[in-house]
Amino acid sequence: MGAVQLSHEVIDTQLVDRHQEKIGRIDELLIELEDGKPPRVATIVIGGAARARRVGRWMLACHRAVHALFGQREEHASHVPFGAVRCIADTIEIDVDGDTLDSMHLEHWLATRVICPIPGASGERK
Amino acid sequence: MKKWGELALGVVTSIGGFLEVGSIATSAQGGAEFGYQLAWVLLLGTLSLAMLMEMTGRLAAVSKRTYADLLRERFGYRFFVLPLVAVFVVSLLVLASEIGGVAIALQMATGVAFRWWAIPIALLGWLLLWRGNFSIVEQGTAMLGLVAISFAVGALVLHPTWPTLGRALLPSLPSHDRARYWYIAISILGASISPYLYLFYSAGAIEDEWTIEHLSVNRVTAVFGNVFGGGLAIAALVTAALVFAPREIKVDRYEQIALLLATPLGRAGFVFFVMTLFITCFGATLEIVLAMAYLLAQGFGWNWSENLKPGKDARFSTSYTVLLLLAALPIVLGMDPLSLTNISMVVTAASLPVTVIPLFVLMNDGDLLDTHVNGWPSNLALVVIALISIVLLVAALPLQLLGGG
Amino acid sequence: MSGRTVALSDLLGRPVRDADGRKIGRIEELHAEIALEREGNDYVVTRFSVGHFKSFDVIASGNFVQQLVRRIARATGYRRYEIPWDLMDLSDPAHPRALRREDELPRTR
Repeated sequence: MGAVQLSHEVIDTQLVDRHQEKIGRIDELLIELEDGKPPRVATIVIGGAARARRVGRWMLACHRAVHALFGQREEHASHVPFGAVRCIADTIEIDVDGDTLDSMHLEHWLATRVICPIPGASGERK
Repeated sequence: MKKWGELALGVVTSIGGFLEVGSIATSAQGGAEFGYQLAWVLLLGTLSLAMLMEMTGRLAAVSKRTYADLLRERFGYRFFVLPLVAVFVVSLLVLASEIGGVAIALQMATGVAFRWWAIPIALLGWLLLWRGNFSIVEQGTAMLGLVAISFAVGALVLHPTWPTLGRALLPSLPSHDRARYWYIAISILGASISPYLYLFYSAGAIEDEWTIEHLSVNRVTAVFGNVFGGGLAIAALVTAALVFAPREIKVDRYEQIALLLATPLGRAGFVFFVMTLFITCFGATLEIVLAMAYLLAQGFGWNWSENLKPGKDARFSTSYTVLLLLAALPIVLGMDPLSLTNISMVVTAASLPVTVIPLFVLMNDGDLLDTHVNGWPSNLALVVIALISIVLLVAALPLQLLGGG
Repeated sequence: MSGRTVALSDLLGRPVRDADGRKIGRIEELHAEIALEREGNDYVVTRFSVGHFKSFDVIASGNFVQQLVRRIARATGYRRYEIPWDLMDLSDPAHPRALRREDELPRTR
């Protein structure tokens, strides 16, 4: 892993966890600034609010309104230390278990409450 | 068996592109009102779609990512929202009109009003997506869609004048009703070149695990599939020219379109028409809803695949479930399927720039495509298609107002 | 030891001024590399690409398009600077400043 371009190659790239499962895209990167030191790529943010904010404040407001509509006060976003990155290629692999990520909340909620109760939903491949 | 499977992706996509409610309706209207004259528009649409499909297929096979993936990755989320919303809105309209097409077919077969069929159709579609894997959806629709060959048979039985048809494959100007002519032209292009088609094809290439080895298969499938589909649409236009135009029948109800096959082939023709309408629109329904679910899942980075059990890609499977039910609503509420189709075709045509222009950028990206970037002929073709798409965007609203029946 | 955190998308597109206060472009890209002195996978930003497009990466890195863009860019006087991290003052992340004058900054050919 050599040099990377943060805008071109890192942000918006598909993320996979240690089990090679897709867990979203890098919606935002947090850069740590410290006097006298090079800026450090600190955190990967996965979550809708960060994503919405990139479009504009109006989009963020819509995003918050939609969440309020569904009775969610807080959004399920994940902050993953950039140090967890194992490989940067067509996808970016991070050394976490997707099941533990807050940003995967909707996926798990839908899987357990909505999808799996319907016959034929469980299992690996068709 | 595998090679047939690969060909099937192109055929099913082309059936979804050319023999579904949009093409059947616009070809029938075009043939009824202008004879063979609009055949060149179908040819233009066929060639454009074949190229767009070949490119998005090549993109997926080489870069191992779908077009939707790359729209987000290479252009950023901010830009991505634009094609996301445009394709979404447009596809939802087309999806509703396809469900309408299936519903009309069932109404013609059973006499039960089309409104009552919308939900059962959505449920049947859902069940197939739920239980079936990608190959089943792809190959099943392709094989059943072969019934659409009845359009070619119907056209041949009526003895078209081949020289006239040949001349009609070259662009021509209308001698009457200019606004109406160009309105139908735009509708035909919107029916032929729908974004969901090349988005679906690109995702299908990944579902079928295409690699660089598949590039020639990709070319053959894209060309063969579209020539097949486009040819059948031209057959529908020709039949309409021979059945409706002499009688000066203007098509404003789906039931009239059945005459396209009933006139040359009698009672059997009516049955074939109903079957073709049912199967091709149903296939298109599955394709569009999958394309929309793919777009969402790939754009947001969710797990996705028709080859995974629904529990493994919950957001993806929830998406196609909700979208099917949502799209059934306008039909349940009794909206006229033909009007819905006409509007959705024009809107589709207007939405093209936002998915055609980014493709030009991606197809020249050496990081993605290595030595398989576009050569200058492909680039030239893509620029022409992009320019046409911009013209469609600008002309769509005025023509809808001036020429929309 | 003041550690501030800034979002990448808040840096991208920000206008950059040189030491004389003249606007020289916008941050188009941040290049990062693994820092070799520290343990683990710490990526640090080594340089900033500053140019006149808000985000150059929108025009992807394909040969044909890049050459086309470069020709247009040269014709319109477009310049792109590659500013090392230690020549970029981000004490106010909303107003990045290069620590040299425009003519002293490294450029992309």
